[in-house]
Amino acid sequence: MLSVLENSSVAIWVGESLYAYPGLLACHIVGLATIAGIYAMRDLKLLGFFPDVDGGVFLQLNKLALCGFTINAISGFLLFISQASYLSTSVPFLSKLTCIAIAMLLSWRIQKLLQATSISAAPALIVDNTGKIMAAASLALWIGAIIAGRLIAYIF
Amino acid sequence: MWNYFASIAADSALNQWIAETYWLWPVLEIIHFIGLTLMLGGLIVVDLHMAGHLPKLKASNTHQLLPLVVLGFALNLITGVLFFYGDPGRYSINIGFQVKMVLVMIAGLNAMFYHWKVSPIMLAHGEAGTRPMLVRCTAYTSLTMWFGVLLAGRLIPYVGTG
Repeated sequence: MLSVLENSSVAIWVGESLYAYPGLLACHIVGLATIAGIYAMRDLKLLGFFPDVDGGVFLQLNKLALCGFTINAISGFLLFISQASYLSTSVPFLSKLTCIAIAMLLSWRIQKLLQATSISAAPALIVDNTGKIMAAASLALWIGAIIAGRLIAYIF
Repeated sequence: MWNYFASIAADSALNQWIAETYWLWPVLEIIHFIGLTLMLGGLIVVDLHMAGHLPKLKASNTHQLLPLVVLGFALNLITGVLFFYGDPGRYSINIGFQVKMVLVMIAGLNAMFYHWKVSPIMLAHGEAGTRPMLVRCTAYTSLTMWFGVLLAGRLIPYVGTG
C-alpha cells in the first residue's frame, strides 16, 4: 500500500519537482499558523485570558480554522506520500498525527461548548472545570503537534 | 548590511556554541514555530476584526490579545537572531531571508502606523457601519505581510543566494 502511494505519479512529482516540495511546505506553515493560531487563542480564552473578548467570535473563526486544517490535510498528505515508507515508521510523525487527531476531536467538543455557553454568557464566557481541562489539553496537543512536527527532520 | 552583521556573528562565542550544541537548533525551531502560532493567531483575530469581519468584537477588546502577539514576536526575534548567529554565512546571502526581513520591516512600519494613526480613527468611528478604507487597508496589509513572512521564512532552505 505504502509503496503504491510512494510510486504514484503524484508522489514522484512531489519528490522530483523543484517547486512542489517547498511549495507544499509553504502551504503547510500557512495552514499551521491559521488552525493552531486560532485554536490557541480560543483555548487561552476558555482558560480565562482576554476576559473582555467575546468568546462567540471563535465560533465565527472556526470556519477559517477548518480551512487551515484542510490546507494542511491536503499538503500534509502530498508531503507524506513522497516519503510514505520512511514516515510510516517515524515516531515523531506518528506522534504528530496522534496529537492532531485527538486535538480535532477535542475541538469538536469545545466548539459545542462554545455554542452552548456563548449565547447566554457573552462576552464574559464562564466555563466549568471540564471546559478548562479540554482547553488546556487542546493547547498542549497543538504544542505537541508542533514539537513532533519539527522533530520529524531530526529523529530518524 | 547583512554581510556586516554576518562578519560580527561569524566565529563569535555565541556562533560556536550554537553550531556545536546539537540539540539547540531543533529547540530554537520549535520555539520559533510556537512564537509564530501565538503571533499569527492573535493577529488573525485583531486584523480580521479591524477589517470588519468579526462584528461581535469591540475595538478595545482586541487590545487584550496584543500582549500575546508581542510575546510571539519577541520569541521569534530572539530565536531568529540566534539562527542568524548560528549560521551567518548562509542567512546573510539568502534571498528568502532578505525578503523575509523586508516584509517584517514593512509589517513593523504598518504596526506603528496602526498605533499612531489608525487606532484613534477606529475608536472615533466606533463599531457601527463599514470600517473606513484606511483601517481596512492597514488590517489587510498586516495579514498579507505576516503571511508573506511565513512563506519567505519557510522557503529559506530552498532558495538560493541573493
